[in-house]
Amino acid sequence: MIGVIFGVIVPYIAVAIFVVGVIYRFINWANSAVPLKIPTTGGQQKSLPFIKRTIYDRFDSPYTWWETVGRMILEIFMFRSLLKNTRYYLDRVSQKDARWLWLFAILFHYSLLLVLIRHSRFFLQPVPEFVEMLSEIEAFKGVFIPSVYVSGLAIVAGLFLLWLRRIFLSRERTLSLPSDHFALILLLAITISGNIMRYFFKADLEKVKELLMNLMVFDVGKAVAIADSIEPIFYVHFVLASFLLAYFPFSKLMHAGGVLFTPTRNMPNDNRARRHVNPWDSDPSVPILAKGITVGGKTFTSKKLDWDTYYSMYTDQLDEIAESDYKIAPEEL
Amino acid sequence: MEEMPEKIEIRQRFPEWREMLKPVKKFEEGRLSYISLPKQVDSEFFKMPFGDVERDLHDLKLPENWKELFLEAMKETLEKNRAFKLFMDICVRCGACADKCHYYIGTGDPKNMPVGRAELIRSVYRRYFTLSGKIFGKWAGARELTEDVVRELYYYAYQCSLCRRCSLFCPYGIDTAEIVWWLRRILSRIGLNQRFMTISIEASARTGNHLGLLPGGMAGAIQQGLEELKDVTGFDLHTYINKKGADVLFVAPSGDYFATPHWFVMLGYLLLFNELEEKYGLTVTWSTYASEGGNFGTFHSYEAAQLLNSKIYKEAERLGVSFIIGGECGHMWRDKHQFINTMNNPPKNEEWKRFWENPDLGELAEGLRGVRFDSYASGEHGWIHILEFTAALIEHKKITLDKSRNDHWAATYHDPCNVARGMGLIEEPRYVLRNVMNKFYEMPEHTIKEKTYCCGAGGGLLADEIMDLRMRGVMPRMMAARHVYKKYGVNILLTPCAIDKAQFPHALEYWKIPIEVGGPMEMVGNALVLTAFGEKPEDRQYDLRGEPLNKEEGE
Repeated sequence: MIGVIFGVIVPYIAVAIFVVGVIYRFINWANSAVPLKIPTTGGQQKSLPFIKRTIYDRFDSPYTWWETVGRMILEIFMFRSLLKNTRYYLDRVSQKDARWLWLFAILFHYSLLLVLIRHSRFFLQPVPEFVEMLSEIEAFKGVFIPSVYVSGLAIVAGLFLLWLRRIFLSRERTLSLPSDHFALILLLAITISGNIMRYFFKADLEKVKELLMNLMVFDVGKAVAIADSIEPIFYVHFVLASFLLAYFPFSKLMHAGGVLFTPTRNMPNDNRARRHVNPWDSDPSVPILAKGITVGGKTFTSKKLDWDTYYSMYTDQLDEIAESDYKIAPEEL
Repeated sequence: MEEMPEKIEIRQRFPEWREMLKPVKKFEEGRLSYISLPKQVDSEFFKMPFGDVERDLHDLKLPENWKELFLEAMKETLEKNRAFKLFMDICVRCGACADKCHYYIGTGDPKNMPVGRAELIRSVYRRYFTLSGKIFGKWAGARELTEDVVRELYYYAYQCSLCRRCSLFCPYGIDTAEIVWWLRRILSRIGLNQRFMTISIEASARTGNHLGLLPGGMAGAIQQGLEELKDVTGFDLHTYINKKGADVLFVAPSGDYFATPHWFVMLGYLLLFNELEEKYGLTVTWSTYASEGGNFGTFHSYEAAQLLNSKIYKEAERLGVSFIIGGECGHMWRDKHQFINTMNNPPKNEEWKRFWENPDLGELAEGLRGVRFDSYASGEHGWIHILEFTAALIEHKKITLDKSRNDHWAATYHDPCNVARGMGLIEEPRYVLRNVMNKFYEMPEHTIKEKTYCCGAGGGLLADEIMDLRMRGVMPRMMAARHVYKKYGVNILLTPCAIDKAQFPHALEYWKIPIEVGGPMEMVGNALVLTAFGEKPEDRQYDLRGEPLNKEEGE
């Protein structure tokens, strides 16, 4: 029975929530308008031909589509902004690099990537060669018996380091909400249970793969039959991972997808070459305030100061300027 | 006039997360901005919702259904601005932004960390717009919207200068300026506006500029500048105002017409325009109608920014100019680079269209052929920064400069936040400065260029009542200035930003750094040899401040 609930029902629900939730979030973000082109420029703009731009400027203050893509790739794969991190000390002018956060983040995220690639062996038949190869390389095959996967241990270390930051650094402790700790604890539980299963209380991985393959082709009958024969330790890992999937779309973990949408990074700094049109103000011939804004059923309209209004308000002074033929010169003494 | 804080003590506090969700009840002296009066926000030319009531922070006099209105405005914002919605959702609270904020460094107040500031509104977002916030409440970091929360939102929304330094360091590009800007817009929908900025917005909506200068006053100010230039150079110079058929419209922040040290920059503009007209025949006109470059609307809301910057393209069209040059200003260039051509339709006059088909200054004045702007600008925008313009003139050897006239200055350059991070104008000013003066030194690397520290008074925070906050916020910049003052003997801090020029003299006095403040165009004005008037490099006896150039020999 346990096998059926945790091996069949729970993962189906979790994956459904994950897929629907993530798509919902993406559509939800995409549906919000982008009123202005607001890249944060982290380097020299493209301007006059003799003003030289370095390669960094081109990615930090992108002008073309390709440079913008380059900026996003650096951001997503290198965490470029975090790499710029500094720490301010009140007692000195100098700065010190504070790239620990970058290091821990890279350690965690790349370990996660490797772990996920390794896990693809449970979903793919035959197992792709590069997955095998990668696993062998990171395990230094032949050095330890049984082979030790570095990424599996590194991910635990990375998570602990990130969590210790939140516990021991006073500023980060103040900032951290329960949900921040929760996400880290959940990930720790998943990775530690995975390691325990790998090295101490082994589960029958052949069966696990069979279960997953059957789940994937919706052969529920076979899946149910296999599910009950797998060791309970597997379900600890499996249920936690399912829970993470279901939790993902509603949490800050969505930063993984959100980074693609961020207007301060994914827009080029080419405002002066190409006009950006605001979808909810696409014909701005009359300012919105002059048309009036409605709040609580009441409309508030600001009078528009067009030239004619302006001229009628200050006719004498403007005529005086016209009389001098629009020229200002020092007064004759 | 202003009350300077006697002593600044930075007390860092690290409360636990529960306390961060509770609204502060005690507002520090010198950090709380006054709320607008009816004459500013219930004016004919700038009418904001519920602006007809006089309020203060202890008695908000909110409309009866304020909560509904607030949430409605917030919902609208989430739909209208993807950045706002995304930044509500994806922050992981890693803390990378925390010590990047000059106000946090200066005050030590945890809610002044960029992430802390954003959490103030994010917690309300979670409570009313997310499932987990509705179910788990405080455990999901959500909180009820109460009047105390609104007070707190106002208090902290006006402790951010929209400088975007945090956005540079955020791994997701979360821009607190974007959050705060739209939060201020939400607050304005229930009647809460900050007084200092709305004084200027209202004046600009009514008269064309923040100072409320009428046409005669502005013309008079420029005339006085020309008279001063006659004393300095000995030449009869002139300029145009509201002139139809001029080649270029020039728009400066209105501070340049009166304030010091802005004034010397204004003299620099006038010298350059006279040389160009006399030598090449390029005519530049000012306008009394579009007399404001700086746009305090950009501190308030999209709509207010649009109301103020809508005048400029219209004026360009009316006067029939070919393009627009903008003066030295910080936020102005966020507005003029990123906002203005989205918020308005660009001019459609013939001259404009013709020029941008082949944007070579030679089309306007034969002698300037070769100076082109089409590598980055088009007729869909049409603004050129005065320092880009000057840099191009220098590169093409169209103006004659005598660097030695600036030898009495040893300068450093402060990048205005929005010029650096909202535009990317970083090397052009340095190119100009290296060509007009011999002694130019950079401040430490982590305080300049895109990492520049704010002057602590941008974003509408140049108000006198928050002097304590301003003097704290400027501290990182002042420490960097002191460093170059001690190391290189720097005696002037140059910045192309009107708000900087207003803030720094106070700040330098407060932090006891005996150096002057100026703008790059002042240095250009000093170095510029008016060859068209027959001036020789050695002719100039005084700089634009009226100081004799050859002190040692004279004494």
